[in-house]
Amino acid sequence: MSRSRVAAFSLAVALVVIVAGTPAISQTPKSGGILNAMQREDLPQGFSIHETATISSVFPAAPCFNNLVMYDPMKRVESMDTITGELAEKWSWQDNYRNLVFFLRKGVKWHDGQPFTSKDVKYTFDMIRETKDAQGKLRINPRKDWYANVDNIEAPDLHTVIFHLKRPQPSLLLMLASGYSPVYPAHVPAAEMRTRCVGTGPFKFKEWKRGEYVELVKNPDYFVKGRPYLDGIRYLVIVERGTKYAALQAGRLDISFPGEGTKTIADQVKAAVPQIKIETVGQTVVDNLLVNNTKPPFNNVKLRQAVSLAVDRRAYVKAVHQGGAAVGASMMPKPYGVWGLVEKDLNALPGYGKPADDKAKAKKLLAEAGYGPQNPFKIEMGTRNIPIYVDFASFVINELKQVGVEATLKQVDTAQWHPLATRKEYQLGANLTGIGADDPDANFYENFACGSPRNYTGYCDEQVMKMIDQQSQEIDVKKRQQMVWEIQKKLEEDGARPSMSWRLDYVMQWPYVRNYVPHNNIYNYGRMQEVWLDK
Amino acid sequence: MSIIIFVLLRLAPGNIVDILFSTGGYVSESDKAAIMKELGIDRPMWVQYVDWLREIVTGDLGKSYRYDLPAWQVIKPLIPVTVELALLSTVIAILLGVPTGVISAVRQDSTLDYVLRVISLAGLSMPSFWLGMVIILGLVAWVGWIPPVTLVAPSENFKIHAVQFLLPAFAVGYRSSALIMRITRSAMLEVLREDYVRTAWAKGQNGRVVVWRHALKNAILPVVTVIGIEFAFLIGGLVVTETVFNLPGVARFLVQAIIWRDYPIVQNLVMFTAIVVILSNLFVDMLYGWLDPRVKYGD
Repeated sequence: MSRSRVAAFSLAVALVVIVAGTPAISQTPKSGGILNAMQREDLPQGFSIHETATISSVFPAAPCFNNLVMYDPMKRVESMDTITGELAEKWSWQDNYRNLVFFLRKGVKWHDGQPFTSKDVKYTFDMIRETKDAQGKLRINPRKDWYANVDNIEAPDLHTVIFHLKRPQPSLLLMLASGYSPVYPAHVPAAEMRTRCVGTGPFKFKEWKRGEYVELVKNPDYFVKGRPYLDGIRYLVIVERGTKYAALQAGRLDISFPGEGTKTIADQVKAAVPQIKIETVGQTVVDNLLVNNTKPPFNNVKLRQAVSLAVDRRAYVKAVHQGGAAVGASMMPKPYGVWGLVEKDLNALPGYGKPADDKAKAKKLLAEAGYGPQNPFKIEMGTRNIPIYVDFASFVINELKQVGVEATLKQVDTAQWHPLATRKEYQLGANLTGIGADDPDANFYENFACGSPRNYTGYCDEQVMKMIDQQSQEIDVKKRQQMVWEIQKKLEEDGARPSMSWRLDYVMQWPYVRNYVPHNNIYNYGRMQEVWLDK
Repeated sequence: MSIIIFVLLRLAPGNIVDILFSTGGYVSESDKAAIMKELGIDRPMWVQYVDWLREIVTGDLGKSYRYDLPAWQVIKPLIPVTVELALLSTVIAILLGVPTGVISAVRQDSTLDYVLRVISLAGLSMPSFWLGMVIILGLVAWVGWIPPVTLVAPSENFKIHAVQFLLPAFAVGYRSSALIMRITRSAMLEVLREDYVRTAWAKGQNGRVVVWRHALKNAILPVVTVIGIEFAFLIGGLVVTETVFNLPGVARFLVQAIIWRDYPIVQNLVMFTAIVVILSNLFVDMLYGWLDPRVKYGD
């Protein structure tokens, strides 16, 4: 036998041994089984996604509904390129991005058997826009501003919908793909979604036992043939953190809850159960400092800048998140997001450079504003009386102390926090903001635009508004990216709402759970249409 | 009582509408006013109070603000869970506390007495929720198993149901047993020094009869009082244990309802707890008469 033949024979034997010794991993999806999912609290607004801004409702309600378009469930980082049709088979931009035409799927039925038509789409988005002729009314409407640029919605026939825009806005599509944008049935009052869900989605409502679990079952009439794979999903409400991760380790739960996994917990779970799969993704939630721009002392830009300079962002990530967050400005940084500033630009911003230099600059600005050791700058810092908020605020207070600012902590009950922030009855606040889509429009218009109800700091700059409008209309992605970078720099330099860090999510799942792909946005991967169990 | 519950609840800052808007991340004063009107919480407090009393009298417990369901429908499944857990915990506490208290008293200052007192002191020093968490984490670490995290009905699987309740009942019962043990011991020490007990010993009566029939029967009244108080306390005090073991009971739900300012649910659950406290006290008082014929009522 020649040397080459011996080598080939040995290779073949080795391959056989390797293949025989490797556990068979099925790649062909199997149907059946119930997925047990973690649910961190009972559903705050039931299944009424349009009336909430919390993942606690969106996650268990998402499998019940469909959007016009959605982010490809199999792709982790969302962008315009990962958008795929859902209730809309195709779509087309017309009249230089002023009209967005959706061609809807035919033969789609609501869970109660009624046919889905363009009337349902018009009903849903007119309701959110609160048009005069809207057929429905939402009790709480957190995302009305997303559609401020929509002039009207037309349904020329049963399977076509046209969104007429006031000005071009390519990113409207990104917001329509968000988990926050499902289509509601026009024949069911929106209020009913608070107690059950009627959608077109892959799973139907079976039971909601208050405080215990939500059970969804497979929709046999789902319009995507062969989907979903699962027979059902159970969302088990477990409030206590120790219990929920014990349940995951013991196999009572198959997947963790989006946005709940911290680095510390993930390390502990991995050490206890090495076979559990842990993926690190961005979660589009930013820790930010609310600096009340509308009243003294922080209507003085120097004092806002001083506060921003005083807080060392990298130390914050290490101390408060044990490294489980990413430093970034007002858009989620790369590689977790698409629009974040590059490292070089970030380092030049206040609070991101060398801590000693930044603190010296902060002291100088404070002195220029008339504060110093003889006349210390005294402020009150408010936040919610929840540990993650208090940890955040305590760190900031300690950093401020190092530049001579005397800040006192005021813990506020959750029920009071948003009213206080909205009425701007605070000086400085520690806040967490979740953004529905990793898109500048979704973020800037909601949190930085003049007059937006969620612009808690009251920051309003004419030049920035122009820049926001310009980037929104820009069709060329590269040009838009450049504009978005400039806006972020300006916002940080103005101390508009200084970003501390972007939280990372450590998503945990048992290896037999397949096709559960966490995205860089916690709100957008709950559909469960592709998920299957390899058991 | 009803006035205190009603007023105290409303003294807490914010209401359900504030919470609803906080889940939406913004506030609209006009929408807020509309929802408050819809829920009837824009009316003067006394009008709301009178309405609530009228509803209770007619057997209507109102509607949960949070769930938009009749309050009774929300509360009904919670009650058996808490009652079962409280009863089981009390039984475990009695089974552990009374015999150890008696033995400790009879063997006063012996090694066994010291050991039992240390165990009892450990029970008093250890919060039941901490013990509960240790049990859960210990099970995961050593057995890789914990009971199901949703309630399993006894008709569905009695064994699993029993385990679901026995673990938290032990965590809670151990702490209560420590108190019962100490009360039993001190009451027994006092009774064991009584003349009639000394006489019984002198007459050469069987030790078991002296201790368990004569001495314990006379020492039991303060023990029963403590058991009654403990049971009443457990009905509302199982918050953390129910949370740790994820049991859908009254106490856990009450905390959530308070956080949400779901007034109808909180009012009714607190009233339920108050009624249980009153009834358990009444039961203990009636038990006095049966245990000790010298205690008579109404003469």
